[in-house]
Amino acid sequence: MRIRLEHVSKNYGALHAVEDVSLEIPSNEVYGVIGKSGAGKSTLVRLISLLERPDSGEIYYDDKRVDNLPKKELIQERRKIGMIFQNFNLFSSRTALENIEYPMEICHMDRKTSKKKANELLSLVGLEGRGDAPISTLSGGQKQRIAIARALAVDPNILFCDEATSALDPQTTRAILALIKEIQKKMNLTVVMITHQMEVVRDACTRVAVLDQGKIVERGDAREVFANPQTAVTKDFLFNISNMKNSIIRWSNEGGHYTLRFRGLKTQEPIISEVAKATGAVFNIRAAGVNIVSGEEHGIMILDIGPDAETAKSAVDKFEKLGVKVEEEMDGSV
Amino acid sequence: MAAFSRYWSLILNPFLQTLEMVFFSTLFAVILGLPIGVLLQITSPEDQGGIVPKRILNSVLSRVVNILRSFPFIILLIVIMPLSRVIVGTAIGTTAAIIPLSIAAAPFVARIIETALKEVDPGVVQAAKAMGSTNFQIIWKVLLPEALPSLISGITLTVINLIGYSAMAGAIGGGGLGDLAIRYGYQRFQSDVLFITVVIIILLVEVIQLIGNKLAAHVIAKR
Repeated sequence: MRIRLEHVSKNYGALHAVEDVSLEIPSNEVYGVIGKSGAGKSTLVRLISLLERPDSGEIYYDDKRVDNLPKKELIQERRKIGMIFQNFNLFSSRTALENIEYPMEICHMDRKTSKKKANELLSLVGLEGRGDAPISTLSGGQKQRIAIARALAVDPNILFCDEATSALDPQTTRAILALIKEIQKKMNLTVVMITHQMEVVRDACTRVAVLDQGKIVERGDAREVFANPQTAVTKDFLFNISNMKNSIIRWSNEGGHYTLRFRGLKTQEPIISEVAKATGAVFNIRAAGVNIVSGEEHGIMILDIGPDAETAKSAVDKFEKLGVKVEEEMDGSV
Repeated sequence: MAAFSRYWSLILNPFLQTLEMVFFSTLFAVILGLPIGVLLQITSPEDQGGIVPKRILNSVLSRVVNILRSFPFIILLIVIMPLSRVIVGTAIGTTAAIIPLSIAAAPFVARIIETALKEVDPGVVQAAKAMGSTNFQIIWKVLLPEALPSLISGITLTVINLIGYSAMAGAIGGGGLGDLAIRYGYQRFQSDVLFITVVIIILLVEVIQLIGNKLAAHVIAKR
């Protein structure tokens, strides 16, 4: 199912939690919405998942307008959506299997069918035989697996993941993301991932929208956005991810004057020495590393270029000719 | 042995009357208090977990509950006499005493249920809502089951309170252990009867607390 938002806004008093957001989430894809805490992510997901109504603007599922439905239809529409959360939000009064049965139970599906389906889902998420387990006996990763099974119980067209991996360790995060991707393919789901973790977008999303102060500041193909970040927020995310994964190695604590971003095959070419030969520039490399974004290699290098400004300029031109993105630090005194 | 059987014949009937009063007034207090407690919680502001916030209804209800709770029980006993006469045909006796006892305990039960429901993780309620639960389903299938251990503890507390209150019901001829203690122990200076009655009441409270704790622990252990 395709989701479309048109000029959606939501305020809480004087706070513009979501401001004039227009967004199109294509069918059958994993779409990431990334933002720092307080950027309006939670509000946005509550709006798209019909938990809250926007103050203005329209929300469409395929071509059906859903933001203004009357209560009864709203409940029917919600029953076609799957949702998972940061804190799993499982019912402690129910066993693992009974949790998965809940969405079917509230639709008055007969007990036998729902039990059978719940057991199938249990093995789909890799927890066969754990149906009778009380929730408190499960690990974080297992809880999220049960939550995923519960979300899928009603054969939804959309799966919303609201910070679904934020409470998990990196290894479990990867396993859960792999499971979500696998299920997405198997069930032709539209997956919307709301997150503050760049790794999540990097590992799972084909497209991404960057949210900042209630507005979408950047959007597009995830690889594109990462290779060529336009806004400070996105650059910040990219920097964080690199530090977090230790994939950038810093030789010097002083920031370099230029940031080079390589994409794909460029990471394997001897570009630096090529440029050095062609322009006579000398490089002082401060930090460098490689990231994998949606299966593509992204290189980053922070360096100073010498010996003089003129040579540096021609070096930068040469880099860009070779398809490397160069960003110049503006506050430098050089 | 003769002494035992004398006490036994003296105490058995009031003991059963106390059990009758406590059992039925707990039952009716829960029947009355449960919907009020649920209503108090679901109409509370959204940030306190209310699923259908209704500011005015909530504050009116809350006020009424507070007024009823601050009513001294001995006064309530007398005020409610005409109502007892309407409902059970008499204002005097064990059955009649169940009416004021239920009414005195209902607002207490309402608050206990409200508090227990407030403790339910709001995220779980949000999840239930996102899955398309109706409000009734949220109350019945999520809020109440999730709060069950607190509800059990709260109702145990109500039963114990009602044992204390039921002793006062002797004042309107309600019978029971309290009545026995006053008539024999206080008015006839039979301090042995007074002593035994108090011991029985203490034991009763202990047993009920024990059962309540075990029940709550049992529910928690299965989670």
